Amino acid sequence: MKILCDRAALLEAVSVVSSVVPSKTTKPILKNVLLRADSEGIGLFATDLEMAAKVRLDSVKVSKEGTVLLPAKETSALLRELSDPTVTLESTDLRCRIESGGGSFVLLGEDPEQYPAEATVVSGKRLEMPSGVFLRMIQETMFAAAREETRYAINGVLVDAGAGCVRLVATDGRRLAISYENLQTDDDVQFKAVVPLRALNTLARALTEGSKEEIIIEVGEKQVVFTTGQTQLVSQLLDTRFPDYEGVMPKSADTTVEIQKALLEGALRRAAILCAAEMRMVKFEVGDNTLRMIAESSARGRADVSIDAVVKGAGGSINFNPDYILEALRQCDLDEIRLDMSDDSMPAKFTLGESFTYVVMPISGA
Amino acid sequence: MWPVASAPRTILHADMDAFYAAVEQRDRPELRGKPVIIGGYGPRQVVSTASYEARKFGVHSAMPGRRARQLCPEGIFVTPRMEVYAAISGQIHEVFEQFTDQVEPLSLDEAFLDVTGSRALFGDGRTIAERIRRDVLERTELCVSVGVATSKYVAKVASDVDKPDGLVVVEPGTEREFLADLPLSRLWGVGPTTCATLERAGLRSIKDVQSRSREQLVEGFGSNLGEHLFVLANGLDERPVISERAAKSIGHEMTFAEDLCEVDDIKGILLQLAEMVGRRLRRAEQRATVIRLKLRHPPFETKSRQKKVAATADDLELYRVATALLESAWDMRKPVRLLGVTGADLVSADAPAAIVKPKQQSLFVAEEPAAELSANQQQRDKLLQAMDAIRDRHGEDAVRHAGKRRATNPWGPQDQE
Repeated sequence: MKILCDRAALLEAVSVVSSVVPSKTTKPILKNVLLRADSEGIGLFATDLEMAAKVRLDSVKVSKEGTVLLPAKETSALLRELSDPTVTLESTDLRCRIESGGGSFVLLGEDPEQYPAEATVVSGKRLEMPSGVFLRMIQETMFAAAREETRYAINGVLVDAGAGCVRLVATDGRRLAISYENLQTDDDVQFKAVVPLRALNTLARALTEGSKEEIIIEVGEKQVVFTTGQTQLVSQLLDTRFPDYEGVMPKSADTTVEIQKALLEGALRRAAILCAAEMRMVKFEVGDNTLRMIAESSARGRADVSIDAVVKGAGGSINFNPDYILEALRQCDLDEIRLDMSDDSMPAKFTLGESFTYVVMPISGA
Repeated sequence: MWPVASAPRTILHADMDAFYAAVEQRDRPELRGKPVIIGGYGPRQVVSTASYEARKFGVHSAMPGRRARQLCPEGIFVTPRMEVYAAISGQIHEVFEQFTDQVEPLSLDEAFLDVTGSRALFGDGRTIAERIRRDVLERTELCVSVGVATSKYVAKVASDVDKPDGLVVVEPGTEREFLADLPLSRLWGVGPTTCATLERAGLRSIKDVQSRSREQLVEGFGSNLGEHLFVLANGLDERPVISERAAKSIGHEMTFAEDLCEVDDIKGILLQLAEMVGRRLRRAEQRATVIRLKLRHPPFETKSRQKKVAATADDLELYRVATALLESAWDMRKPVRLLGVTGADLVSADAPAAIVKPKQQSLFVAEEPAAELSANQQQRDKLLQAMDAIRDRHGEDAVRHAGKRRATNPWGPQDQE
């Protein structure tokens, strides 16, 4: 196999598929990336047996077709450190020589035949949208998913398509984020699939903010395939029942509070400094056109911050874990956000975007 | 002539006969009729229990195994199976608990029962004791000897005098007579040393001790021993039966004359049980932080489920949790013979620290019941207080939560439709 290609493009492609390569594995061969050169260009492929990524590069000069297995870490590092705009790769047996700008490097690879084969993708239901939009939806929801899996804390994000729109929903049992988007197409595609967090993470790294390039999401019975441009990511779906998120959305509110997002974020961050170590909690006191935030801990002291707000309704107080709110605000683009609340034991709803809603359960008994 | 407690109690002492050995002989027919010694004969090994056949040879508990072997060469040594004995002990306790919740276990095979409050329902001490003996035999194929008396000490002596398979009742007022002719060694805590001391003072039997006044005994043997001797010899042991459960939990069970199969009937009983437990919790000024459901399918398959909750003494909360536990424990096919609801891990009703620990709530129902308790809680508390007040004046059944109930059991409050 012999190819000549743009170094930056190759680095980008290798990085994308490398994000799937496991850092710890019992199968050393998985620490490689498969490079296949054919008449039309090259394809890079990597898998950790749960996810797989594939990237094609067309603007490549292929002098000799063939396949080689490249160690992911060393190859990325090398490509990053080289400075020439182009790079040549040539493989003999299991060795691959990389030449660029006066340097010559030989990487010892393993037998490509031993690498797991690409699984045939079972096609299913599909939808399409601008990839920049999908990336935004991922960012608006991923942070709320659970780090570990427990009964109501799913380590994945629900993709719920139906009635002409698609929703991403993530929860850790204590807070829940929903991002939705109306679909352009007329076909009434309908499915519910839970995508592992890792897959979305990997996908997010391959997407560009604001990109208009379409992403195709295809959901099969046990797999999902994301295709955008020359990149394709395949992942197993999580076989879990997602909790009833529609049921916990508050339908009404006794009080609504409209606040400047930047004001809220700053004030909350300051107040949170004085939370107790073992229970991070800030009390929100909603009064006459003010939102007052109080945090205290016997060890550290007390914080009391007030900001202006437009308050309609009864007012009252409610306690939150400040990190839950700060994490969400970080993904929020609006200048002004809205909080809908009732009493201090009911979930509160934050409207953080045109199609971005966030529900948080309070801390009770304080 | 001697003062009898104003309302004489009825105390039972139940003592399984040669328990471990009896279990082994039950489970292994080839051991029946033989001298069975539970324990080992290696160095430092002792006898746990010996079967009655082995006791004829002079073998008894706590004897070194080596010596037991010398005394009884044909003795069959058996390694104890503690898990089995513990399980059987559990079964025996279930029998006890059908008659009273004031059960004080002394060991796996011995317990005191205070059935004073159960007499109205089940009959006198003798009747209860006979039923217990019969039920234990039916349940475990093992014999229990029971002593019935007005105090713990006398009941214990009584259960011992006619072993095995004995039932001895000491009628109120006849305690002294009963004890009089027994040897000194029968007095609790009187071993060879104390015996010798007493004999030197001219006391050779319990009758002799009875003939001395309290002052004389205290003067002769010191305030500790003297007082002790007086109380025991005259059957005046006032110690209460301390149910270790009552302190840690408050619960109520019902066994049904006819097994229940319908969900509504079962939920009706759960409601009754929840009401009773709630009332007792409030009266004891306690709140439960764990709610337990007990369920039995005939003949003896028992299941138990429990759940942590925010501290509560609220009937409907107990009922709600019990129903949720029922759903996880009952497949709706097997008939139900017994239901029990218990509030455990109690906290004082007005301890501020108990409830006011801040806790992050959960969005999804099944995890955290507290999240659903709305500001209606205050209203509910008022309602419960009012109901309690009515019951205090008019009796337990005067007011009920709405709901269908069918009382099919002979030992619960009767239905008031």
